[in-house]
Amino acid sequence: MEPSLILQRNPDRSASSVDQRGWPGDDTAGGNGRAPADTRRPVLVLNDVTKTYPNGRDALKDVDLVVPEGDFVFLVGASGAGKSTLMKLLIRDELATIGSVILDGDDLSRLSRRKVPIVRRKIGIVFQDFKLLPSKTVRENIAFALEVTGTPRRKIRPAVERVLKLVGLTAQAEQYPHQLSGGEQQRTAIARALVHDPRIVIADEPTGNLDPLISWEILQLLLRINELGVTVLMATHDSDLVTALRKRVVALEEGRIIRDEVGGGYHRAG
Amino acid sequence: MFSFLFFSIGRAWQGFWRNAAMSLAATATMTLMLLLLSGFWIIQAGFLASLSYVEAKVGVVADLEDGTTNLEIQDLETRLKAMPQVTSVEYVSKDEALKRYREERAKQGQTDLTPYLAENPLPASLEVKLDKPESYRTIADFLNAEPIVHGPVVNIEDTTDRLISITSFLRTFGVLLLAVIGAIVLFIVINTIRLAVLGRAEEIEVMRLVGASDAFIRWPFVFEGALVGLLGAVITLGVLLGAAEPLSQFMVGFFSILPINVGSISRDVTMLVVGSGMGLGIVGAWVSVRTYLIR
Repeated sequence: MEPSLILQRNPDRSASSVDQRGWPGDDTAGGNGRAPADTRRPVLVLNDVTKTYPNGRDALKDVDLVVPEGDFVFLVGASGAGKSTLMKLLIRDELATIGSVILDGDDLSRLSRRKVPIVRRKIGIVFQDFKLLPSKTVRENIAFALEVTGTPRRKIRPAVERVLKLVGLTAQAEQYPHQLSGGEQQRTAIARALVHDPRIVIADEPTGNLDPLISWEILQLLLRINELGVTVLMATHDSDLVTALRKRVVALEEGRIIRDEVGGGYHRAG
Repeated sequence: MFSFLFFSIGRAWQGFWRNAAMSLAATATMTLMLLLLSGFWIIQAGFLASLSYVEAKVGVVADLEDGTTNLEIQDLETRLKAMPQVTSVEYVSKDEALKRYREERAKQGQTDLTPYLAENPLPASLEVKLDKPESYRTIADFLNAEPIVHGPVVNIEDTTDRLISITSFLRTFGVLLLAVIGAIVLFIVINTIRLAVLGRAEEIEVMRLVGASDAFIRWPFVFEGALVGLLGAVITLGVLLGAAEPLSQFMVGFFSILPINVGSISRDVTMLVVGSGMGLGIVGAWVSVRTYLIR
């Protein structure tokens, strides 16, 4: 496993290691700089990001984060640590007050409103509460993501079949969400997040409403998706899952990254 | 482009029926509001027609000197008819005037005393109809300057002035009332549609998150709003059509004297109901969805 690409910001602000390595956001290096330590393309870069809400609270403070393509990252931290804010910045529901968020080469703060939907299609989003439409079947819920982005009808059907197979819901395709178990609902949501071939899947507490066994199933599914080359960023409270998997863990506390290590547990080792 | 239109209309139709309770509530509100609006419109139209009818009655009667020749009368008639304020001129001879007077007396059941007169005391006259009451002064001045016109033309200035001020007040008031009702209808309909859209916030949220462009989110709702408006308009027109027959029979005594053009009123009402129904539906949906798009 390669070394961590998460770089803690230097307190003196003069030379953040991100800039030295020529990551996007460094004005001289341009948007496609490569790190000598890791030749994989970064899919997500947060550069010295601070988010201050109108009430004056800093939800995120000086956050630097680089996620290379194909990574699997756990984002952990207590409620109010800034996980949700970070997620909102990634899908450009909120804009960073200071710093830049770069997703697949696009600086989200410089993006015109019209281009936001196009960037969002590079992200697949999975929520704790699934956000499935109750009046649509599993198949319709998944197809919906393609229909509303103007995908031609003939391309929708095969794409939906493909992800249904991937998440193992082909048999339940014509059922409505209320007829499904929690795990099946979440698998439907994951299928919907995947159907437009995103570069990165962002999962916000995807197992928060599920019992441990089903949570494990969902995690296996996300791992399989990761193996197919999709970058996965998963925010979670579930310490068992994180500790068991030994993947890269980014811990947030009071808006700052306090730990970023590969193969770490949920809690700081030692 | 066509597939986008097809998609939007298809989704609008689906959205309408999958949330039938909310859509039908919005349609019902729309119908009631359109009935209110068109009801007042019809009253206003009838009212304006009555005013025009009264105003058309305003005319000037110029008594002529006895012994005026036909040539002189024809000359004056021609010159009057040439004036833009004059819509018609009618000559009433001395005999005709006496005949009308007798008929009037007979109608009132009074004894006719005219046979006891040595000669016909009534003057011949020209009855001049005006295009609008405001023209009265011009015509009166013109007639008073004519030598063959006997004495000053009947001074009904005060009366016409009062009529003019009353009718213009009533007109303004009617338009104002209609505007206020229009505003109320606007707010209620837009709020109802906003509620219907609010009930679909989840769907809009999902659309935004999977990367639907603003147009793909907005237009299905706009078409759905138009559908609610159109359906409300059709129901409203149906109700009006059903009510028209008994209502007109009830009102026939009152309205028969008025020169109301039923054809043009029903055309105006149809346009008003369909236009404002669809317009309100579209504006309501547009405004409601906008709240979700701007972030």
